[in-house]
Amino acid sequence: MQIDPDLCTGCGQCLPYCPVNAISLEEDVSEIDLDECAECGNCLRSADCPVDAIYQQELVWPRTVRSIMSDVLTIAVESGISGRGTEEMKTNEVTGRFKLGFAGVAIEVGRPILGTRMYDVEKIAQAVAQLNVEFEKINPVTSMMSDPKTGKFKDELLNEKVLSAIIEFGVKLEQLPELFRILEKVAGEIETVFSLDVATRIGPDGTVPTASYIQDAGLWIAANGKTNVGLGRPLYQEKTQ
Amino acid sequence: MTHTLHRIGSAESLKEDYVVLVMPSKDINHEGSGPKLRRFLKMALEAGAVKIGDARLGNQYHQGGIDNLLNNVEDRAVVHGVFKDQDALIRILQDLKAAKLGLSVVVSGLFDEVEACCNRTGLKGHTINQSLGRWGRTDRLPPQEILEINTMCGHGMVTVGLIEEVIEDVKNGECTPEEGGERLFKPCMCGIFNPHRAVKLIRTLAEKGD
Repeated sequence: MQIDPDLCTGCGQCLPYCPVNAISLEEDVSEIDLDECAECGNCLRSADCPVDAIYQQELVWPRTVRSIMSDVLTIAVESGISGRGTEEMKTNEVTGRFKLGFAGVAIEVGRPILGTRMYDVEKIAQAVAQLNVEFEKINPVTSMMSDPKTGKFKDELLNEKVLSAIIEFGVKLEQLPELFRILEKVAGEIETVFSLDVATRIGPDGTVPTASYIQDAGLWIAANGKTNVGLGRPLYQEKTQ
Repeated sequence: MTHTLHRIGSAESLKEDYVVLVMPSKDINHEGSGPKLRRFLKMALEAGAVKIGDARLGNQYHQGGIDNLLNNVEDRAVVHGVFKDQDALIRILQDLKAAKLGLSVVVSGLFDEVEACCNRTGLKGHTINQSLGRWGRTDRLPPQEILEINTMCGHGMVTVGLIEEVIEDVKNGECTPEEGGERLFKPCMCGIFNPHRAVKLIRTLAEKGD
């Protein structure tokens, strides 16, 4: 994103709309630090600039990934939906993506607030790749890897800054303890934060199969989260019969 | 897409915060889903939703009003209703069950409360998504009370700077907590930010002083 210095009156109205503090007032004119800007579009859409000085410059590769990962209204080609993730557990009753005995894992790097450079995303992806996970093919982050087996990203992307990037994959439940150990280690090696979540089918008896693994690892778990109530049709089981 | 997950807050505060998402699945049931999604949004308004939203095309302000939001819904959209209490949640779940839209329905909120509402409507959880919190350089994050407001927009569009500005304006009598809540809702493009809950949090922070 850029600000036309000839139009800007230096009112400062746009400053609080930048989630990564990339806008500053320099000599009474607002200026965007392009290295820090994640191309989320928030200032353009919501700051209501009184003189329309904010404009979207043409984005070329590799900077385009900033918009894909940061602008909520950008539709990712891989998933076909807006935002930076996939349908994940939200449609699990019709896709059967997460089956009993497995957990879906999403590591949202940069969330909340801090954003991330892609080199930190790579660091985490390479760490979890030790578990021989298969990264979610339709997640745009996976398409940014030069080697999805090792979690290596394309070199030209590593310094790109995005608001967040979701590393998504599935594991067998018994792999969770090792995954948690790996994440605890890599969490100490990055400059940013990540938000971690696990998705799982609820057992036929109403139990949550991931609960004991999380408890045994001594991890904090939120009292709130997402529940798919199974109303989508056709049900995955019905489809396969 | 985990934009309604990872909301932070006390149980008391989260008891006033539920998001119901409805979406089709690509290549399985997305064709012709637009009218069904629109029907849900109208049902949500009738059930007392605080806000409705469309993650594909933007919130009511971005689209120029609720009517435009309703008219523009596309087949591949992910749409939401934000609710502030269990009564409204039970009503929309009852209505969704009866409507048999055939689309996936996900409820974000306190698991125990959501389960209780499902039990009241004869629904059962199929799959859940649990948040294991924030890892890494959490020392760089702002205080918990700011995070409680910020995390209601999972895409981070309700910025720390804007939250602080609104609290300051309320403190100085330049706007009411209600006006502040609406100001914070506007940048949340999906329309999942809960201004009802935000008003209470803003009021508390403004009264706290420096």
